[in-house]
Amino acid sequence: MIRLQGIEKSFGRHPMLKGIDLEIGTGEVVVILGPSGSGKTTLLRCLNFLEKPNAGRIRVGDYEVDCRTAGKKEIQQLRLRTAMVFQQYNLFRHKTALENVMEGLLVVRKLPKREAREQSVQLLEKVGLGGKLDAYPSQLSGGQQQRVGIARALALNPEVILFDEPTSALDPELVGEVLSVIRKIAKEGITMIVVTHEMGFAQDVANHVVFMDEGKVVEEGHPNRLFSSPKEERTRQFLKRITPDGVYSI
Amino acid sequence: MEQEFDFTYVLQFIPKILSTLGTTLTIVGGSLVLGLAAGLLAALPRLYKIPFLRRVSQVYVSFFRGTPILIQLFLLYYGLPELLKQADIDLSKTPVLVFVILTYGLHVSAYVSEMIRASVESVDRGQVEAAYSVGMNGVQAFTRIVLPQALAIAVPVFANLLLALLKDTSLAFTLGVMEMTGKASSLTTLTQHFVEAYLSLALIYLAVCLVLERLLRVLERRLLRHEARPVPAKSFESWRTKWLPFGLPQAFKLRSKGGDA
Repeated sequence: MIRLQGIEKSFGRHPMLKGIDLEIGTGEVVVILGPSGSGKTTLLRCLNFLEKPNAGRIRVGDYEVDCRTAGKKEIQQLRLRTAMVFQQYNLFRHKTALENVMEGLLVVRKLPKREAREQSVQLLEKVGLGGKLDAYPSQLSGGQQQRVGIARALALNPEVILFDEPTSALDPELVGEVLSVIRKIAKEGITMIVVTHEMGFAQDVANHVVFMDEGKVVEEGHPNRLFSSPKEERTRQFLKRITPDGVYSI
Repeated sequence: MEQEFDFTYVLQFIPKILSTLGTTLTIVGGSLVLGLAAGLLAALPRLYKIPFLRRVSQVYVSFFRGTPILIQLFLLYYGLPELLKQADIDLSKTPVLVFVILTYGLHVSAYVSEMIRASVESVDRGQVEAAYSVGMNGVQAFTRIVLPQALAIAVPVFANLLLALLKDTSLAFTLGVMEMTGKASSLTTLTQHFVEAYLSLALIYLAVCLVLERLLRVLERRLLRHEARPVPAKSFESWRTKWLPFGLPQAFKLRSKGGDA
């Protein structure tokens, strides 16, 4: 279970998150929607302290931190329970696909090399890259790189995987392969929080949609309900802007 | 007084000058070690944006990059003993080579610090974030992720720096150090064969530079093996279709097929 309470974050004087409360059950697939600048990505990055929140509490599984007082140890504990898939993939450029997945297992989890290798090979096969173990990121397409990124996140066996616009940097024809991998692991019951603009994906896969605007959660709920009969005017406006008429008339 | 050009002198001079190659390489090696250490120290405050030290490091780098190496040599060789005399430290018996290595070391460190700063900063920020996201701490992220990539970026800059250093050591003879240039200049006084002596000297510097260049290129390739491969060498097939006149390709193809069977 993940619980966020009163998360606040500002960049300089500009408030980005104005007190976010959110509860996410184990195995839920949460999609965060919202216009750009609404703080979706910032919220995701606050969860593993790539941005340090100014205030609030974060609970991931059995571990809870107060953001104000969190030190190196607490941040490390939080990061061990989360994993992230980045918009720009951020694969380690000097390491092969296999080494990318193994890195965390070897360095952080301190697994013996053979075991780490076995697990990593399995995961790469799962994302359909069993034949690309020794390829460097520069030799892979964007879609393949992102699938390695997903395998790297899975390897850590985290409580939750954070997806930061995982398909935004991809060529349109490569989006499908990445989404289908995410779909596949969503079915396995891994908790995930996904920031995306893929409405179709949100509707098919998510069982919890959060709509954010101006650093606040405007509305949340089951996708069927939220897409068909949004309560808030701002949600309605947003949905109308990004989806053609009739698509979400369920 | 000047003698006519005689190539046999070049052959004679080369081994003589080579006998002092060791001194030149000692200066290069010693100042490189010193320069890398001091350069790293000078780069750290700027990489980590430490308020006051950052300024100090900037001034330090500006000084050693902004004044001629020859003047730095004189300043340290004549100035440092004077300065330390005030503190009752006597440097009058210190070998010249120590001053020379110290000067070149400090000089190189300014460039090294810029090299380190630039190459570390050019590693994408996302790499560090990815390292943190898998649970690495700052030291692990730096040594395992940033440093190897920064090294690869730094090699070409380092190659420039090393070759420049090697050639700059030729100024050490102004303080009377018997390195290669010093030796060559003494040969000219001895024999009056100026051109031969300096030609020999040039050939030796060139040869050493070429060797260093090669080594560094191998190192660079090795460190950059993760970047997309350069276009593979043209295969015979593409060469044949491009350059052989029409008709001949057929003959080639047929014959090579026959050979295989």
